[in-house]
Amino acid sequence: MARVKFVFRLLVLAGVAMFLHYVLPQHDVVKVTSTEVIRTDLGSFNRIFFASGDSGSATPDTRDLRLINTQKQNTYILGFIQRDTSRVMVYRNEDTGWIWPPYFKFNSADLQAEAANLTRGDAWVVVTHYGWRNRWLSIYPNAVGLRVVDSPDVTIIPWFNIAFFVFLLIAVVFLRAMWRQLWERAVDPVIDAATHHIDAAQADLAERRGRWFGRK
Amino acid sequence: MAFIKLVIFGFIALTVIYWSIAIYARSVRKERLEKSFDAANPSSTDRAARDAFVTAGMTAYNASVRPKLLGLVYVVPTIVIGSIIYLINMN
Repeated sequence: MARVKFVFRLLVLAGVAMFLHYVLPQHDVVKVTSTEVIRTDLGSFNRIFFASGDSGSATPDTRDLRLINTQKQNTYILGFIQRDTSRVMVYRNEDTGWIWPPYFKFNSADLQAEAANLTRGDAWVVVTHYGWRNRWLSIYPNAVGLRVVDSPDVTIIPWFNIAFFVFLLIAVVFLRAMWRQLWERAVDPVIDAATHHIDAAQADLAERRGRWFGRK
Repeated sequence: MAFIKLVIFGFIALTVIYWSIAIYARSVRKERLEKSFDAANPSSTDRAARDAFVTAGMTAYNASVRPKLLGLVYVVPTIVIGSIIYLINMN
């Protein structure tokens, strides 16, 4: 039973970690090589990995998808350690709008223009993005920002993620304190009172039973 | 449409958070008042005096600025969303 519990907890933790890894912003150092637009028919498998269509439009599952093709510097451990090698990486460029994930991105056209402009030069660019590249599912990380840097070995401090995890920690501690307070002040007294009633009733019953059957 | 949806559901979520924190803060305050009364009058069995002390303390708390600060539950996320919109979409 303990092992089942352990495995279950591990699965939940892995799910949460994957979810955060998908949704939180990450940074890649790249050279933008080209931009393109492809028509995409989304399947039921990869539908959730693309932005929601406009709620008013009638045909949400086929669309033109803006892509940014790049040469990306490889890294170890979620981008914290730089490597000298590079590989290709393809980003999509879609508005998230007011819908999930809450990046509130509306400027995909401008971002595409910026990326197209960067293909003319040879500049190193930091791409802020969320999401995964998966060839089997045909999904791409969504680029949310481009920033030109001087060299490929820039130090990137993930300020947003730091703030997010600090906030998450505070929220968890606070939620725990609230839960304990609720039990201490609202639930436990009720249980105590109920237990007291049950005890009294049982004592009463025992006494009556004694009265009826005790004199045998 | 998506914007209206966000506003409505965001408002509902923040209201839930607001009331949870409000109830929690009141509960903590009340417990502290009870404990301070018990510490000051260790052998008191005067229930009415204890209740009066707690009620007076809660009235003072409700009149103070602290419960009004809870309105920040609505303000801070709005500011955060506003800054995200600005930072993401400016070029």
